[in-house]
Amino acid sequence: MKSKFYAGVASIALLAGSAAAQDLIVAPGTEGFNWESFDAFAAEHDFSGETVTISGPWLQPDQTFLRNTLAYFEEATGATVNYSGSDSFEQDIVIAIQANSAPNVAVFPQPGLAADMAARGALAPLGDDVADWMRDGYAAGQSWIDLGTFANPQGEDEFYGFFYKVDVKSLVWYSPEQFDEMGYDIPETLEDLKALSQQMVDDGGTPWCIGLGSGAATGWPATDWVEDIMLRLHAPELYDDWITNDLPFNSPEVIEAIETFGIFAQTDGWAQGGPEAVATTDFRDSPAGLFQIPPACYMHKQASFIPAFFPEGSVYGQDFDFFYFPAFAEKDLGEPVMGAGTQFTITDDSDATRGLFEFLKTPIAHEIWMAQSGFLTPHLGVNLDVFADDSLRAMNEILLDATTFRFDASDVMPGEIGAGAFWTGMVDFVTGTDAETVANNVQARWDQMR
Amino acid sequence: MDNIAGQNQGARIAVNITVIILVLLWLLPTIGLFVSSFRDRDQISNSGWWLSPFSVEQNFRIRVGTDTARQIDGVHVIEGNAFRAPELEQVFEGHEGQISAFGTRAVAPDEFTPGERVELRQGGVLTVEADGSFRIENTEEFGARGPTIYVMALSPPRFTLFNYNTVLSADGMDRAFINTLTVAIPATIIPILIAAFAAYALAWMDFPGRGLLIAAVVGLLVVPLQLALVPLLSLHTSVGIGQSFLGIWLAHTGFGLPLAVYLLRNYMVGLPRDIIESAKVDGATDFQIFVRIILPLSFPALASFAIFQFLWTWNDLLVAKVFLPSGTDSQVMTVKIADDLLGSRGGDWGILASAAFVSIAVPLVVFFTMQRYLVRGLLAGSVK
Amino acid sequence: MPPVLQGILTIIIGVGGCVGYFYASNLILDKVIFPAKGPKAGININRANKVRPWLFLFPAMFALGLYLAYPVVGSFWRSLFDRSGANFIGLGNYFDLFSESTFRTAVFNNLLWVLFVPAMATFLGLLVAQLTDRLSWGNIAKSLIFMPMAISFVGASLIWKFVYAANPDIGIINALRDFFGMQTLDPLQVQFWNNFFLMFILVWIQTGFAMVILSAALRGIPEETIEAAIIDGANAFQIFFQIKVPQIMGTIVVVWTTITILVLKVFDIVYTMTGGNFGTHILPSYMMTYMFRDDGRATAVAFVIMLLVLPVMIWNIRQARKEMR
Repeated sequence: MKSKFYAGVASIALLAGSAAAQDLIVAPGTEGFNWESFDAFAAEHDFSGETVTISGPWLQPDQTFLRNTLAYFEEATGATVNYSGSDSFEQDIVIAIQANSAPNVAVFPQPGLAADMAARGALAPLGDDVADWMRDGYAAGQSWIDLGTFANPQGEDEFYGFFYKVDVKSLVWYSPEQFDEMGYDIPETLEDLKALSQQMVDDGGTPWCIGLGSGAATGWPATDWVEDIMLRLHAPELYDDWITNDLPFNSPEVIEAIETFGIFAQTDGWAQGGPEAVATTDFRDSPAGLFQIPPACYMHKQASFIPAFFPEGSVYGQDFDFFYFPAFAEKDLGEPVMGAGTQFTITDDSDATRGLFEFLKTPIAHEIWMAQSGFLTPHLGVNLDVFADDSLRAMNEILLDATTFRFDASDVMPGEIGAGAFWTGMVDFVTGTDAETVANNVQARWDQMR
Repeated sequence: MDNIAGQNQGARIAVNITVIILVLLWLLPTIGLFVSSFRDRDQISNSGWWLSPFSVEQNFRIRVGTDTARQIDGVHVIEGNAFRAPELEQVFEGHEGQISAFGTRAVAPDEFTPGERVELRQGGVLTVEADGSFRIENTEEFGARGPTIYVMALSPPRFTLFNYNTVLSADGMDRAFINTLTVAIPATIIPILIAAFAAYALAWMDFPGRGLLIAAVVGLLVVPLQLALVPLLSLHTSVGIGQSFLGIWLAHTGFGLPLAVYLLRNYMVGLPRDIIESAKVDGATDFQIFVRIILPLSFPALASFAIFQFLWTWNDLLVAKVFLPSGTDSQVMTVKIADDLLGSRGGDWGILASAAFVSIAVPLVVFFTMQRYLVRGLLAGSVK
Repeated sequence: MPPVLQGILTIIIGVGGCVGYFYASNLILDKVIFPAKGPKAGININRANKVRPWLFLFPAMFALGLYLAYPVVGSFWRSLFDRSGANFIGLGNYFDLFSESTFRTAVFNNLLWVLFVPAMATFLGLLVAQLTDRLSWGNIAKSLIFMPMAISFVGASLIWKFVYAANPDIGIINALRDFFGMQTLDPLQVQFWNNFFLMFILVWIQTGFAMVILSAALRGIPEETIEAAIIDGANAFQIFFQIKVPQIMGTIVVVWTTITILVLKVFDIVYTMTGGNFGTHILPSYMMTYMFRDDGRATAVAFVIMLLVLPVMIWNIRQARKEMR
């Protein structure tokens, strides 16, 4: 595993037909990437013959991006990485932990669920070294550490979750071509956004594509709406209280946020197919309306990862673009940004597993995925030039420029709320239950857990 | 009797029609899935599967490049053919087709009829002919980005094996298929063997408590599977089986046994008493009687239960979700479809359809080849 | 080791083990413990014959006890504890359940399933069995209607998504509504009735089963009784309802209960079609939302399912005992 070896590796690999080297999507040595970090890592670690198993929520196409990235870990250490993704990861990982057949690494999309598992003693702490590194290695490092710190079975706080792959959620996607053809402007305030929506309806169009379908997780896209609106209606401190239930779920502030979401999802003609379609359309399928001729809708609010589900061959700037989901002009709350992320945790410890976390600290582990699609990172050592396209770079800027950054509330709430009652509650709301009843039901479930 | 036959003529036609309607009703959903598995994503979202044998109107977007612009008599001109644009090329073989309408905005792709001269917003005049050829004239030079044209054309029916290729190669259905086989076959054979002996004992051996045991088996027939999940997974974990193929084989064996014992006993009881008694008189032991006489004679019931259990284990989702690890290494097809494909391919109906067909192919073959055994064995179990 | 090899090995070990167990245990019983020779030959043969049934029964009884009988007790015991499993809370989980509206909906829906699916499947099965009885192409028709039996619930759900989809270019129901100028709607969101749309998928699967059994039963009715009725001037309906149906009543009941038992096990359809949203939860799918998160609650739900089947179980046992006499 010497750096010299890589010089001609691409051509040799092609000649020899070696599968291992062909897996590397960016030839080592390619300009712009931080190869020193890779070589240094490779020189220090050797896990030949060992296997690291990873379970996570990513399906295609993210699954391929992850495998492409981890191929560099395999190349550097000789270890084998087996990743498997599931749409009901939240259920499967709990069953697996119960059955003692947990993988080495579990990738939690939700700190709330990870906290549950840590409290059961199913996770191994990452240790102070990793935390110390993250404090300086990540932008706003301490806040990422806090989000990855949970109570262990004895009730003491320890650092468990390594954030890798971050999403910005406060984005609205649209087709610049259609905005151009119809003469629409990008709204600067939430008031403008509502006016634009009405304008689109008056022009005979449909402003929004919203889809809540997501298998066992159906409903979560609506929670993002409510959270983003919550940050735009009320001070961030209230948002924090909401997460810890110090602000009850059925308080007027939360109900107001839910009802504001209702304006977008339930106003006649505002959402494609009406509230009914909103409840069942798969979220991966819902942006398709932007690309139809004639367009089935003009705007789609979704996180930074969604371009992965756009039709093949869609080009940023030509077929699609995004703008920041704006704040109310009348409320003086700055420009809040809501985001989410996935955290790597150790569910079955081994040397190679620890090695994987060392790998995640290297810039190259971030840059390889940045060069593919749908990946943002707070890592301070990466070269932003390697982003696959300008949209990612622009989103990374939104992430770093936010006056207020808050993590997706439903992800931080306890699993049964954030990955259960809140989801189904939103489906109920969209299909006609009033906001107050929905909020009361969620709060009731929260009360039961004590 | 002639009289009755005459009366029945009308009734017979009515019966025929009713049955045809019922059969169609039963077949239609499956046909829909089958047809859809041969269509690509765009086609499925553009027109229903029932329209697949026909041509359908489809809208296309063409982004005209400005690199072919020429200057003729002081006028800047771009010429081209819509059917050579990348989006249309894959649909229209031989670059031929009929344009039925065109437009300059996505909201109204059918605003103009072919041949019309249309003023473009960004300046210039556009004409599109029915054969697809278009011409844009402009007195000023074109910018870097050319105009966008929308055309509506009748696209011919197309069928493709693309979905099956994707599902079998890229999406890992092949692995899931093998996993399913690995689960289903041992989980079918083991319970049969165990049940056959028990059924013989319950049918032809005399011992105290026999009636009670039979009643217990009948009772256990009804115990819901759900009850077993939590305690058994804990049990498996504590004895070190955990989530594994061994675990799911044992679980399926346990869950399948009551039906197996019940079916086989009912069948064996019906076997002629004198054969067994004469064998006993000849000095045969119970073991010999069982192996040489009972087993061969019970073949229909054994086959019937085997089919039943095979279909059940092959099609099972719940037990696999709980007793098998969720990784791709051990995912069975039902889990693969429900938890992976429905997620990653949520809107990709063609892929889902072909995946479903891959998963039901084996049961259908088993079913149609062994159908008569299934019926014979079942009858012994339930018709008295 | 690749799972295929592992599978083959298991078959060999499992099957070999079973055969070996039965053969060896019989051999030992007959030759070693109670040899059928010497002075006590006669007594020994008798003794051996007393033990032998238990040799035959042991593996089945062991598996049944471990996988079905023990869980009934084990689950009930677990359901008396809280989510962590450490604190005994008596019937607390049950009280909590019944105070929750989703649970009550699930119980109500489950009762609907238990009533509607077996009734409908048996009725349609009987209808098809009777109609195809004298039909020249009856066997083909029966095969086609029987076919869904081979399809997994997950596969069937996918098939029916192409019927129920809200998009009129995918779902056939909405295509028809669209064609007749009606507004499209999502059948799975029509409160209350959506349960029946889901149930129909199971009816679609189970009708074939009912049909095959009932068809055989109909053929088992002696020709003479029917001929006698015809001569007496009975019409087709009278023959069917007054002569045929009473004759096969026993079989109808068996089919009915078999399907009832199955209904209480099915969770796949709800899981893949609606995930329990829109008021379509049934107990098995509702249980999944708690399973392994709050095992106390989950096992309590499972035990409620058990209580629901209890009447069927008791009836079944009484029936079986009656037959034996």
